[in-house]
Amino acid sequence: MKRSMTRSLAVLLALCMMLALTACGQKAPEPAPAAETQPQTETAPAAEAQPGTETASSEAETAPTPTGDAKWLKLAESFAYPSLDAHKDYYGWYTSIYGVTETLFRVADDLSIQPLLAKDYAVSEDGKTWTVRLADAVFSNGTPVTADMVMRNFLRLAEKNERFAYLSDFAFAAPDEKTLTITTPEIYPTMLSDLSAPELAVMDLDGTTDFDNAPVATGPFVVKSFTPEGTVEVVKNEAYWNGSVRLDGVTFYYMQDDDSKLMAMQAGEIDGYTSVTAAAKEIFSADPATYSLTVIPATRLQFYVLNKTRLDDSVRKAINLTTDCEAIAAYLGGTVSAAVGPFSASAPYGQVTKPAPDPEAARALLEADGYTLNADGIYEKDGKPLKLNICYYAARSLDAIALLMQEQLGKVGIKATLTVQEDPDATYVATGDYDIALYCMIADKAGDPYYCVDALYRADSKWAKAGFPDGESEELIDRLQYETDIAERAALANQVVQMSIDENAFGYVGLFNKTTVTRTGVSGIAETCPFDFYGVSAETDMA
Amino acid sequence: MLKYIGKRMVHLIFIMIAVSFLTFLLMYLSPGDAAAKKLNAQGVAVSEEVLEKTRESMGLNRPFLVQYGDWALHALRGDLGVSYKDGFPVTDKLVRGLRCTAILALTSLALALLTALPLSILSALHPDSLLDNLTRFFSFVGNSMPNFLISVLLMYFLCVRTHLLPLVANESIKGLIMPCLALSIPICGRFIRQFRAEMLEQLGKPYVSGARLRGVRQRYVLQSVLHNASISMLTIIGLSIGTLLGGSVVIETIFRWPGLGKLAMDAISNRDYPVIQGFVLITSTVYVLINLLIDIAYSWIDPRLRETGGGA
Repeated sequence: MKRSMTRSLAVLLALCMMLALTACGQKAPEPAPAAETQPQTETAPAAEAQPGTETASSEAETAPTPTGDAKWLKLAESFAYPSLDAHKDYYGWYTSIYGVTETLFRVADDLSIQPLLAKDYAVSEDGKTWTVRLADAVFSNGTPVTADMVMRNFLRLAEKNERFAYLSDFAFAAPDEKTLTITTPEIYPTMLSDLSAPELAVMDLDGTTDFDNAPVATGPFVVKSFTPEGTVEVVKNEAYWNGSVRLDGVTFYYMQDDDSKLMAMQAGEIDGYTSVTAAAKEIFSADPATYSLTVIPATRLQFYVLNKTRLDDSVRKAINLTTDCEAIAAYLGGTVSAAVGPFSASAPYGQVTKPAPDPEAARALLEADGYTLNADGIYEKDGKPLKLNICYYAARSLDAIALLMQEQLGKVGIKATLTVQEDPDATYVATGDYDIALYCMIADKAGDPYYCVDALYRADSKWAKAGFPDGESEELIDRLQYETDIAERAALANQVVQMSIDENAFGYVGLFNKTTVTRTGVSGIAETCPFDFYGVSAETDMA
Repeated sequence: MLKYIGKRMVHLIFIMIAVSFLTFLLMYLSPGDAAAKKLNAQGVAVSEEVLEKTRESMGLNRPFLVQYGDWALHALRGDLGVSYKDGFPVTDKLVRGLRCTAILALTSLALALLTALPLSILSALHPDSLLDNLTRFFSFVGNSMPNFLISVLLMYFLCVRTHLLPLVANESIKGLIMPCLALSIPICGRFIRQFRAEMLEQLGKPYVSGARLRGVRQRYVLQSVLHNASISMLTIIGLSIGTLLGGSVVIETIFRWPGLGKLAMDAISNRDYPVIQGFVLITSTVYVLINLLIDIAYSWIDPRLRETGGGA
C-alpha cells in the first residue's frame, strides 16, 4: 500500500516538476535556424541566407538602440511576413512601409505620379519606348544606383513574382549609367503606375548578401533587426540620398489583434497604428490632447454585383435605389466612406454620379413592372414572391453590409436571404449562383483606373454575370487600355464607370477609410496617403 | 511493456497515414486554392492567366492522388516540403511553432497543476468551509470565462492600468507571463472542479470510513485517497496536455505568441496544404505519445491494470 502510494505521488510530483522545469528552464525561443534548401534559385551573384534568424545589416550594427535620447518611433503593423525580399510575393509593400526600399516613381497623396529614384521620363512618339533618367540616388552602402542595376532588379522581379512575370515581355536597355529604356510590345500607358508599384523596388543586387533579412536599398532607413513574422527594427540610413532623415529609428511590432493595439497605445508602448476600429476611434477621439486621428478615404472598395441573368432591370434599379450607402457608412462607425463609384471622388477618374437612395421610387418602379405587395408585405409577381440571395464572405465588414442591405430591402418589400461563404472566388463568384454578390478589392492600385476597369467591366471578367458591359463599354475599355493622355484616360474611365451605374450592374457601397492614430507630435507615417504600401519616410518625425 | 509500446508505435503509423490522407482530401475538396489565396492576399485582383500559371507551377492542377502521393513520399524521407504561401520550409515553421507552443502550454499546465492540486485537496478535506467556497467560486469563474476575455482583462489591469507588465514583450519570460496566466486560469478552474469531485468521491467510499473508524491517521487515509484518485487525475491532465499542445489561436493572436495554433489557422485560411499536413502529423503524434505515456503511468501506479490490460 505504502509503496503504491509513493508511486502515485511520485508520478504526480514528477509530472509537476517536469512541466515546471521544462517551462522555466527554457530560454526564450530563438527563431528557427537557417534552412538548407531554398525554394527558388537566386540569380544575383551574392549568396542569399535563409530567413529565420534575427539578423542585421552590417552598417546597422553600430546604430542606436531605441533607448535614451534617440528619436525612436514604435508602430504596430497588422501583418507580418517571413522575408524582406521586396521582389517576392507582397513583401515589397512592407519594405516600403518600413522605409527601406524605394521605387522609380511614387504615387502622391493627390494620386498624381511623381518621380522618386527617377529624375524625369520621356515616351517615344509611338508610345512604346519609355526613357527614364535616374536621379543621383545611392544605396545605403554608398553604391550609386545605375540603370543597369534597375534593369536587373526588374528582371529579377519578373522571375521571382508571378504577378510581374509580364515584365519579361519588355525589352530593357541601359544606354548609359543613368538612363533606362523600356520598350513594350504595344502601347503601355500605365507604365508610370506600374513603376510606382512597391514590388518594383530597387535593391543593390550585388551588395546584398541576405535578401530575406537585410536587403540593401535606397530608402531613408536600413534594417537593424528582423524577426520573420515578428518585430522589425530599422535605423536611419546615414547615407540617404534624398535629404536628412529626422528619426533615429523605428520599431514595427506585429500586432494582429485590435484590442492589443488599442491597449498598447493606451499603455504608451506604441506611438501609432493604422486600421483603427470604430470602437477604438471613439476612445482616441475623446482624448485629442494625447492622440491624433487622421481619417481619409482609401482605395479598398466594398461593392456588390447584381446578377442580370436572374434579376429584372426594374429589380436591379430598385435595389440600387434602396441601398443607402451613407446609412451603411454611418453604421460602420466611420471606418468606410460612402462610395459613388469605385474610385475616390477626389481623383480625376472618380467623377461619376449616382441617384440618391429613394425607397418610394424603388417601390413605384416595382409596382410599375407588375409587382404587388402580398399579405406578408413582400412584393410578388405572377404568384412568385421577390426573394433575393445575397452572397458574401465574412471579412472587410461585408457581413455587416449584407445584414444592413437585407434590412433596407426588407423595408421596401424585397425579401433577402443571406449566404455566407469562406472563399467567394471559389464559390459564388465562380458559379454565378447569386442575386447580389458582395465583394471587396483594392480598386486603385497605384494612381490609374485601368486595373480596376479591366478587372470589373471586361466581358470576360469574373463579374460577367452582371450582364455588363455591352459592346460600347468594351470599346471604351479598349481605348482606355491604349490611351496615353492622362485627362482622356480619366474621361474614359468615368464614362465606363458611369455606364455601370446607369445600367444598375454594380452598386458601390463604400471605400475603406485609412484611419491612423498617432501620439500627438508624431507625423509623416503616410497617414494622409490613401495607399496601404507607404509608411515611414525621411520626413517622419516625433516631438 | 516493450511489446505494448511497439504495438502502439505501429498504431501511430496507421493513424498518421489515415489522418494525413483525410486532411489532404478535405482540404482538396474544400473550395478555393492556395494559388488564389497567395496572389489575392492584399485584395489585388489578378488575371485568370496569372492564376492558372501559378497553379501549374505549384502543382495544384495535378490529380489528388498524385499530389498526395508526392507529398507522402517526401514526408517519408523527412521532407515536409515548403509552404505554398511563402516558399519557406515547413519543418522550420513547425519547429519554431512547436517550441513556442510547448513553452506556453507546459508552463500553463505546470501553473495550473501547482495551483489546482493543493486547492482541490484542501477544498475536498474541508467541504463548505470558507476556503472551499472561495475555491469553488474561483473554479466556477475560471471555467466560465473565455480566454479572450481573460486576456483583455489581464492586459487592461497589468499593462494599461498598473504598467506591471509590458504588452509588447516578444518571446521573453516577461512576455510569457500574461499568455500563461490567460491560458492556465480556465484549465486551473477545470482541474479544481474535477480533482475536488474525484477526491470527494474517494473520501465518501467505505474504505475511508473503515480506516477512520479503525483510527488510521489522516495522513495515511489521504495517501490512499490520493493514490486512488490519481488515475482519473492523470486522464484529465493527459487530455489537457494534448489540447494545449495543439496551440491556442486566441491567446497566440492576442499576445503575439508565434505558436502552432496560429500557424495552423493561417495555413487553413491560405489553403497552405504542406503546413496543414505538417501540423496534423505533429498533433496526431503528440496525442498518441501523450496517451501512451499516460497509459504507462497508469500501469506504474496500479500494476493490476498491467495484468488486466486496462492500461498498458
